[in-house]
Amino acid sequence: MATARPGWSRRAQYGLFFSFLAVIAGIVIGLILLIISLVSPKDFAGIRGAALDVTGPVASSLHEVTATAEGLVTGAGNYWDAARQNGELRRDNRAMLQRMVEAKAIFQENLQLKAALQLRQHTRDTIAVGRIVGSSFNSPRRFAILSAGAKDGILEGMPVRSPSGLVGRIIDVGQLSSRVLLVSDRSSIVPARLLRLDIPVIAQGRGDGTVDVRPLEVGRNPFKPGDIIITSGTGGLYPPLVPVARVIKLKDDGAIALPLADPSTTSFAIVEPPFEPAAIAETAPAAATAP
Amino acid sequence: MVRTALSPTKRFGHGPSRYALFVPAATVVAASLLSALPIVSTSGWFPDFGYLALISWRLLRADPWPAWWAAPLGFVNDLFTGYPIGFSIALWSATMLALDLIDRRTMWRDYWIEWMVAAVLIALDEWLQWRVAALGGADLPFTMMLPPLLISICVFPLSAWAVSRMDRWRLGRR
Repeated sequence: MATARPGWSRRAQYGLFFSFLAVIAGIVIGLILLIISLVSPKDFAGIRGAALDVTGPVASSLHEVTATAEGLVTGAGNYWDAARQNGELRRDNRAMLQRMVEAKAIFQENLQLKAALQLRQHTRDTIAVGRIVGSSFNSPRRFAILSAGAKDGILEGMPVRSPSGLVGRIIDVGQLSSRVLLVSDRSSIVPARLLRLDIPVIAQGRGDGTVDVRPLEVGRNPFKPGDIIITSGTGGLYPPLVPVARVIKLKDDGAIALPLADPSTTSFAIVEPPFEPAAIAETAPAAATAP
Repeated sequence: MVRTALSPTKRFGHGPSRYALFVPAATVVAASLLSALPIVSTSGWFPDFGYLALISWRLLRADPWPAWWAAPLGFVNDLFTGYPIGFSIALWSATMLALDLIDRRTMWRDYWIEWMVAAVLIALDEWLQWRVAALGGADLPFTMMLPPLLISICVFPLSAWAVSRMDRWRLGRR
């Protein structure tokens, strides 16, 4: 397809014509595949997983390099201004000791109250622990790549959390790595509640690293800046009582919140089994037909 | 050039690289693989490297690869970047076709026209990504797409420069 007029050669003319046909065939095949992958994303699960296995280990090994380099820089930074930091840490330490004693007392009290209520602690076991080694940094969707896959027992739909809060859920699984739909993706909806008032809310991603929170009941805006949102366990996919986000800005009908688990600084992410195992079977078609 | 022919032949054996035919496609795949970099960003503001490399090559030369190669190259890009499979296949093939039609119409070319054509193509790419994300359940306001769009347009000259260097290397011109 180099030139518009290939000359008198019949062969060159046919070559040009067939290359046009090939490109048009490429467009048509692409559109068909796109429609299939939008309507039923599960069809390509195997091949997507295989691609993840190619890029995942590369990202993991490069992640080690950048982590080491960053560690050297921050390590050097820590020596700078050490005396002032030392004083600050001492002050913090004294305050912490006091808080620790209080916390211990509360813990004791909690145990007694739980015993009185005959509450059974719901134990959750960890399926796998991985690092977040990459992300979809050139797309409007918010995905992250986790360095653990089907080999570690991860299945599609499992919730992912870090020590500081909810990260998201698994959407693609490879043998060695998997793709996580972050809570800040627009299509991620987390049933949650407001910790302070125990009001049920919905947390939906905004695609830019923050989430929209809206109360389920229409009425007065219950949010205040600094409020903590935690999962409610409704729907059975995400376990209850996992911190999700902190409110940073109020809006007319809700608020904008910042996820507590920042994927760029999360060192380890924990994959847990779904709170109610039956939920995965339900969410799979729901995710496919989401508006 | 008479002068070049008469100059001392210090550059014996500097013909085109042995894999010169495959270098352009390989650089596009390499650009797609950049999405495996361990960058964890909470805003998707990075350019679509694979597409930038594709249009840089195609704007530099009319025949960096047979036109139908755009489909498999797009498939590789879809797999590595996590776009819905088929998106880049269709877009990249359509880009090859559109640029062939543009080649027939334009009388002359300069850097500004190339940059403008690239800007229009990048804008189309971002707009389609936004539409496809909306169809996939992520219905964002379009203002979210403006920063990556501007960044991509500004990065294009850099990508075009890198590609032209690569072209000189592959053809053995120092």
